[in-house]
Amino acid sequence: MCDTCGCDHEQSHTHSHETRTVDVNQSLLKANEDAAVSNKKHFDDKGILAINLISSPGSGKTTLLEKTIEALKDKISIGVLEGDIETDLDAERIRAKGVPAVQLTTGGACHLDSAQIHRGFHSLEHQLHGKNLDVLFIENVGNLVCPSFFDLGEHVRIVLISVPEGHDKPVKYPKAIRTSQVLIISKSDLVQHFDFDLHKIKKDALALNPSLKIIVTSAKTGEGMEEWIDFLIHRLHR
Amino acid sequence: MHEVSIALGMLDELFRIAQENHAIKITRVKLKIGKMSGIVTDSLKFAFDAVKLEHPLLSQAEIVIEEVPLVYKCNDCHVSFNAADIYFPACPECGSGNLQLVSGEEQHIESVEVEI
Repeated sequence: MCDTCGCDHEQSHTHSHETRTVDVNQSLLKANEDAAVSNKKHFDDKGILAINLISSPGSGKTTLLEKTIEALKDKISIGVLEGDIETDLDAERIRAKGVPAVQLTTGGACHLDSAQIHRGFHSLEHQLHGKNLDVLFIENVGNLVCPSFFDLGEHVRIVLISVPEGHDKPVKYPKAIRTSQVLIISKSDLVQHFDFDLHKIKKDALALNPSLKIIVTSAKTGEGMEEWIDFLIHRLHR
Repeated sequence: MHEVSIALGMLDELFRIAQENHAIKITRVKLKIGKMSGIVTDSLKFAFDAVKLEHPLLSQAEIVIEEVPLVYKCNDCHVSFNAADIYFPACPECGSGNLQLVSGEEQHIESVEVEI
């Protein structure tokens, strides 16, 4: 091997390696984006509505799913992919509600990517025994930053912000708001206990993303649950 | 810390580009990163410099980042203007808040310099 450049030639060869600039002009996340396109096509072919739930840890993603399953289990077929860094606690909670769930543990990574969804969906299919799904929920790893970078091939991205987190979250995490189609403000029963400005959070979120749909919910009192379920059904039959 | 995942994805793309161009070495990677992309350029550089070392093809690659400013266009009077941040600019001409983002969310590999 040549000592100068590491090429396969003998040492004595003339160094005529040419430097060339290759125009690329493509996304840094191309590999994930390509896999997302393939996931989406797969969901479309099967008539599945795929929904990606993102939020900070503890905003109530799993609780929202539990309540959604309770309301819709007898009407539509639901499957869940649960993303977490460790444990299958959340998949267990979902299975306890009687719907198939696959836990995706990232082992440290703070977001799901499209390749994980591809693998996870195939292992979910094994639990379905040929039955088709109407809705696939993907519960992302609890994190308001990184999941917003990774398209999973979902049709709808939903971001949850719970009242205890504070009304300043949209302006602090603009990408999560800008890349989502729905904002769910959860734990609304706690508004009276926190210095939480509902008007401000809505105004800021809409300034970042004018087409954002905002639903205020409480799994405790049931506020907003009907609106949420109506949204889902409407989106499913669109 | 999504920058490590992004850097790893970038490696795969660079290998593909190197192979397509029969390159023996990648010497420079030019990126365009928007001010509002959410990518921390220092973290991305740090992550890339850490992961590239394992790969002789890339170990000498230098990463050059062009930061793209945040530019809005007013939907009412059609003036384009640079904004310092996203919270929440108004059109400097007519004061309208009805704006569209023209640039600032880029996250692109613009070009790659290879040795063949």
